[in-house]
Amino acid sequence: MSKAAAVQPPPMPTSKDDINGTWRFLEWGVDRIMFSLKEGVDLKTYMSLYTTIHNFCTAQKAAGPTTNTLHSTHRGAHLLGEELYHRLNTYLKQHLAGVHAEMVKHSDEALLTYYIEQWNRYTTAGTYNNHLFRYLNRHWVKREMDEGKKDIFDIYTLHLVRWKEDMFGSTQNAVMDAVLRLVEKQRNGETIEQSKVKQVVDSFVALGIDEADSTKTNLDVYRQYFERPFIIATGKYYEAESKAFLGENSVVDYMKKAERRLDEEKERVPLYLLAEIMQPLMKCCESALIAAHCQLMRDEFQILLDNDREEDMARMYKLLSRIPEGLDPLRTRFEAHVRRAGHLAVEKVAEQGDSLDPKAYVDALLEVHTQYSALVQSAFTGESEFVRSLDNACREYVNRNKVCQKNSARSPELLAKHADNVLKRSTKATEEDDMENMLNQVMTVFKYIEDKDVFQKFYSRTLAKRLVNGTSASGDAETSMISKLKDASGFEYTNKLQRMFQDMQTSKDLNSSYDEWCKDTFDADDRKEGVDAYYQILGTGFWPLQPANTPFVPPATIVKTYERFQNFYNSKHGGRKLTWLWHLCKGEIRANYAKMNKVPYTFQVSTYQMAILLLFNDSDTVTYDDIASSTMLAKETLDPSLGIMLKAKVITASPDGATPQSGTTYNLNHGFKNKKLKVNLNVAIKAEQKQEAEDTHKTIEEDRKMLMQSAIVRIMKSRKTMKHAVLVGETIQQIKNRFSPKVADIKKCIDILIEKEYLERLDGDDLGYLA
Amino acid sequence: MSAEGEQSVKLVSSDNVEILTERKIAERSMLIKNMIEDLGAPGEEPIPIMNVSEAVLRKVLEWCTQHKNDPAPTQDDDADSRKKTTDIEEWDQKFMQVDQEMLFEIILAANYMDIKALLDVGCKTVANMIKGKSPEEIRKTFNIQNDFTPEEEEQIRRENEWAEDR
Repeated sequence: MSKAAAVQPPPMPTSKDDINGTWRFLEWGVDRIMFSLKEGVDLKTYMSLYTTIHNFCTAQKAAGPTTNTLHSTHRGAHLLGEELYHRLNTYLKQHLAGVHAEMVKHSDEALLTYYIEQWNRYTTAGTYNNHLFRYLNRHWVKREMDEGKKDIFDIYTLHLVRWKEDMFGSTQNAVMDAVLRLVEKQRNGETIEQSKVKQVVDSFVALGIDEADSTKTNLDVYRQYFERPFIIATGKYYEAESKAFLGENSVVDYMKKAERRLDEEKERVPLYLLAEIMQPLMKCCESALIAAHCQLMRDEFQILLDNDREEDMARMYKLLSRIPEGLDPLRTRFEAHVRRAGHLAVEKVAEQGDSLDPKAYVDALLEVHTQYSALVQSAFTGESEFVRSLDNACREYVNRNKVCQKNSARSPELLAKHADNVLKRSTKATEEDDMENMLNQVMTVFKYIEDKDVFQKFYSRTLAKRLVNGTSASGDAETSMISKLKDASGFEYTNKLQRMFQDMQTSKDLNSSYDEWCKDTFDADDRKEGVDAYYQILGTGFWPLQPANTPFVPPATIVKTYERFQNFYNSKHGGRKLTWLWHLCKGEIRANYAKMNKVPYTFQVSTYQMAILLLFNDSDTVTYDDIASSTMLAKETLDPSLGIMLKAKVITASPDGATPQSGTTYNLNHGFKNKKLKVNLNVAIKAEQKQEAEDTHKTIEEDRKMLMQSAIVRIMKSRKTMKHAVLVGETIQQIKNRFSPKVADIKKCIDILIEKEYLERLDGDDLGYLA
Repeated sequence: MSAEGEQSVKLVSSDNVEILTERKIAERSMLIKNMIEDLGAPGEEPIPIMNVSEAVLRKVLEWCTQHKNDPAPTQDDDADSRKKTTDIEEWDQKFMQVDQEMLFEIILAANYMDIKALLDVGCKTVANMIKGKSPEEIRKTFNIQNDFTPEEEEQIRRENEWAEDR
């Protein structure tokens, strides 16, 4: 290295092919560029240097006797410049040897400073030299590279190659150590000169010369000598730190620390690292900060759950979501926890036994769902897998809990009852929003009910009652509920419910046209003989209503009225049979014999009671046997009907307190008194209610068999032949949204269908469809 | 950039004549462009173009003026299209209608000043002068003395047989 650069420049060579003179001049120039660039290079010097190289390369020198003959390997003109290239190469080697000797005297930050200073000086000179030697690049270097020489580079790349080979190999370890110490200082909270690290990164990247094509660069050098040690050091640092921190602090505090550390590392990248390092760096941090301690965090999760530590759970979720399969154990624990909470809540209300209030039960189910659904949203970002865990847990405790222990259909039954209570007109007026809310809550539970057919059964019964008795709180609410059910379970599920609604509307129209018809057909006197009545015509197939289980002879007054209607109806719809459901009918009777302030009392009664009371029009005293024979009512219906009237003191028994039986007589109580003018005697009979529930459960079993059989036939009709096991599987698939069928039941149904010759057994396990 | 391009620069020919031109025009020469990049805009200081005489430099600058708005050639252009065709656009053809000596001076200057497009046009012009001519005619055109022995000549013919039109 000729540091003592000549103050006076050597003369520009006059002879073009004088290599020594040429190089003497060039070396002086390159030296100036390397060491005194700050003082500037004047235009003349710059142009002289360029021209000297140009002149040397274009000298008309036939370098040797072999070069220009016909058989030389070089076709065409021989290009000059090889010697300049090698002399520059040697110059750079010498220069770097000097730099290297100086560099090893430094360490740590001083080393970095020196490295960066030398790197910058060297690469800046490199760009200058690249321009000055451009003529060499364009001709001699280009030719050499075109001919496939891998060890010849353009002048700038030559600078990098020299640095990489003569400097980098022996200094990068020390440089990297210094860098890593600097970064560690920053991680420990000290302020560092980040630009130093950045410049080292840039220099390592610049040295990534593609070996296959030196005009291209890659990140190999950077990856191997910067990224790798950087990642390893980061891993070690955080392994040690997290272990030490956890030794003295709680898991909750550790999570905060880990979160902060991860953010810091992420912010570090754009400050002075290469964007490419983000992924491996994050992976390394996640492994050291999260994966290494994930068991500890998962164990803590139960404690957080038990104490509703929402924020900490959110933090844990965020951390564990960063490592592969980090959340699975959390989901499992969460599911078990919700299930437990659900069971606990149900157990609390289950203490009420058989008289369990549907609302209390549904509220218990909902409370747990609401709480953990909110948690899923707030702590687990509503992640779909957590939602699924929640759903699994809810399905479990909704369908299999203490209340359902004896009868698995209790959940849908209670839910339907609750829905009935919500939709029934009550003393408390319900706001529309509240109603909608409550219906949505019903739907929330409905979603988890497995035996949806049971719910359907009970719901259609209660709906029928609400419609027939006109006890719905709001028509809008009813339709809204039906459309919700339709959305959840499909058209078929709500088909009958909708038909019931239609029947109510048709009945309304029918009654008005009947009124018209009466006006046209009968004169006023004739009309007076009839009783004012309202008729509901309900399609047999759609309504879950059974004919009464007692014979009954309606009183003559009613007979005349309804026969008139029957005539009208038959004239409109020939061939339809009307069956009167007397047990669902009701009426009002005015008691002209008993008045309050000159206004007679009105009794709201069932048709049965009406028939009984009308008997007293003929006589004040009527015997039990007379009542029984003229109404033909069965004892089980007659006795309770009388009982209510006795209790209300509309009639009195004689002898006093006699049980309803042959020999007892009844008297009309002329001294009847009541606080209200309208007295409701039409109270549902307890025994009937219980009977109804039992009947419903029984029909469910039958319906299920039909549902399974029709599903099996449907599948077989389209497939013709099928393996037994596959058929069972498909059947379950088809009907599982109604209820969960047992395999044994499906097998039974298949046997029934074989017996009925819908299906036949073929060879092996195959079944065939018989048209 | 436009402001930079409009700056004027002073060039000095080998025979010491100063020529004022736009920086943008001068920068068609990679030599000048790189130099300005390294040393900054020269301002009043003249740039010595040591190997080019005034007459040739003016001619070169005439070409650069005409082509000052051409897009900078990319690596790809370099490789295919331009090399494969000997087509020369009309203005350049006219520009190249100079005596042989000037033609070679322009080519040398273009090579020295690193103006690739001009170098290409010059070489293509020479190529077109060779095209379709017999060796004898070529020798005549460029005033070349035949220094091959008949044996050597025969050998060359054999080696290049594949390229002959048939």
